[in-house]
Amino acid sequence: MKRVVMVLLVLSFSLLLMGAEKIELLFWTHEDPNRTEIENKYIEEFEGMYPNVTIKRVTYPSRKIQETVLTAFAAHKGPDIFNMEINDEYPYIVNRRVAPIDSEAVGYDSLQAIYDNYLEGVLDPVTYDGKLYGLPLELTNWCIFINKKYFKEVGLDPEKDYPKTWEEMADVSEKLVIRKGEILLRRGFDFRYPYYLTFLVPMVEQLGGALLSEDGKTAIINDEAWLKVLEYFKEWGPNGRNLGSPTYTNARKLFNKDNNSVAMCLTGLYQEGRIRADNPEFYESGEWMVVPFPRFKDAVNDLGSAYYGHYYMVNAESSKEKQYWAWKFIAFMLSHPEEYLLKVGLIQPQKALLESDIFKSIPYSDVFLNDMAKSHIITIHERAPMMQDLLKEAVESVMLTNTTPAFALHRLKTKMNELLEEW
Amino acid sequence: MARKRRVHRGIERKKAIWGWIFVAPSLLFFSLFSFYPIANAFYTSLFKKDLLSLRPPKFVGIKQYTYLLTSPTFWNSVKATAIFTLGTFIPLVVFSLIFAAFIMSRKRFQKFFQMAYYSPAVLSSVVAAAIWLLILDPRGLANQFVNLLMNSPGVDHKWLASIGMVRFSTILVYFWKYVGYFTIIFIAGMASIPRSLHEAARIDGANSWQAFWRITFPLIKPTTLLVSVVAMIQCLKTFSTQYLFVQSGAPRGPIDVITLNIYYTAIRDHRIGRASAMSIILFAIMLFFTWLQLRVSKSEEVSYM
Repeated sequence: MKRVVMVLLVLSFSLLLMGAEKIELLFWTHEDPNRTEIENKYIEEFEGMYPNVTIKRVTYPSRKIQETVLTAFAAHKGPDIFNMEINDEYPYIVNRRVAPIDSEAVGYDSLQAIYDNYLEGVLDPVTYDGKLYGLPLELTNWCIFINKKYFKEVGLDPEKDYPKTWEEMADVSEKLVIRKGEILLRRGFDFRYPYYLTFLVPMVEQLGGALLSEDGKTAIINDEAWLKVLEYFKEWGPNGRNLGSPTYTNARKLFNKDNNSVAMCLTGLYQEGRIRADNPEFYESGEWMVVPFPRFKDAVNDLGSAYYGHYYMVNAESSKEKQYWAWKFIAFMLSHPEEYLLKVGLIQPQKALLESDIFKSIPYSDVFLNDMAKSHIITIHERAPMMQDLLKEAVESVMLTNTTPAFALHRLKTKMNELLEEW
Repeated sequence: MARKRRVHRGIERKKAIWGWIFVAPSLLFFSLFSFYPIANAFYTSLFKKDLLSLRPPKFVGIKQYTYLLTSPTFWNSVKATAIFTLGTFIPLVVFSLIFAAFIMSRKRFQKFFQMAYYSPAVLSSVVAAAIWLLILDPRGLANQFVNLLMNSPGVDHKWLASIGMVRFSTILVYFWKYVGYFTIIFIAGMASIPRSLHEAARIDGANSWQAFWRITFPLIKPTTLLVSVVAMIQCLKTFSTQYLFVQSGAPRGPIDVITLNIYYTAIRDHRIGRASAMSIILFAIMLFFTWLQLRVSKSEEVSYM
């Protein structure tokens, strides 16, 4: 009897030990079918290499993940690994909700070695008080994708007549648009509406304006530049030349379908992978091309769209052991930059990748890289999501209602400065 | 006599104990999932707290409330909520009553009509709003249908764009979704009226119109009260339709109802203290109107005797 009890005790003790050694990592990320395929493969490989680690990868729609992660962190139930757009992640760094990088776990000799591996400046947004809090999954800027067929259809030569300025963008769109009365059956081009920090702020900066002053204490610099951009959007909308509107389906989504609903859209290099996945025939047809982000005719700054990054981060409330394994797994995923580029179209800003022949062989990668060299990273601020909402309110009020650009600017300025004062 | 009273009191006490035992689970449930969150929201509203911050929140007393009561954005939300509630709640009560009377007057296909009216209520608000977004797209069915009716080809009625139309669109979606639900409640109320009353009225020579206004309508006053209270609370709490419309490009200002403002303040701006203060104000508004409705209709209890 004693022996049986002893055996049972030993068995249950070893089971307990086995259970304690098992590491389960929860990984939340946004939906991207092409990335899911390769990351699931990396999980399998990693679990094969380290049988004590299991990783559960959960995806959320890209517009939903911000609130899902936020509410989970507010309840101290955040995932071990997550990624979002840098502006959504920045408050997590400032509030010490994410763990600094363990350079040993990610396989570097020192922190400096990590900085040396990446393009200069791309780790600045995730560096805080001398510590590094994230590694980039992607760095994205936006250029204009063109469906050449529709250009030719209206007698335009896409190679020569593509819009170089925002003024030309409106005129070319006017030629491409197909209307039935007031209803747009085909748009020439349309903007990526909710993401105003990425494309609208650079448009203002081209004209000499800025979202924030250099000391970050005042918002909306150079009224004239802001007014010109707001007037441009009023003209673009249904109450002006009626070339597009935020209430139509996202142009980027329709572009891949090649179904005569949009001729141009504003998007990143990853769109190429999505065209290939959604519509291989169109991808192979050679009927699409990419051109730089336009500039205003009288621009004083030669700027492309702002670029933004998605950074992998680790929850500071996870145990030290989990943090170690989380960084190890992130480093393992990010050690395949070519596959991310070729299969998903994501640019990991690692020096070696950007200098490689693989990168250069990606169609129009040079267009993106040249434009990125003339751009800067999106405005990083703890209140950036709210700033984007205020920009949305201003732009959409001039486009969709009878609000004048002057009034919208006045209201935007008041609210933005109130936001900065309260912060 | 005293002994009789004591025995009677004993039975009452026993009944009361059993009463408490029976209501205890639901009381516990409500305390845990309703009263505690309300008390917690009130407590949080007295602090300045960032949703992500690990620092202890700063006590600010009633400052969040004074800020809100002087904030134009908050008053715009009160206005948007009032417009939506009035625009939705009155048609909901009126039309669900009409539809219920219509269905009850049918001799055949009663079940079919009940199912047809009720089916949108089964859908989640998100799915309903997503369907309507497709319909209200400038190239969607709404423009095609209205233009066909009005013989106005090519007119964009800006369902999601202009101030008036985007408000009307949210009302339309909500009305479509919930009218069947309240119709079913009215049908249940009408079905509980003894048939003998209608038969007696018919023998006395009353026509259908007279029977409805003199018998049905007075006898379903408790149901009308229930429907109006529930519909009003539902309308004040509306969120997902407005949220999805704004996500899909509709301007926020005209449909920035209090719940949407709460969402933006808490989730986008991380100010959980201020968002809690807004939710307490919304709770007070709902409580006041519910009390007012109950008070106004206190004398309207019915008896079939």
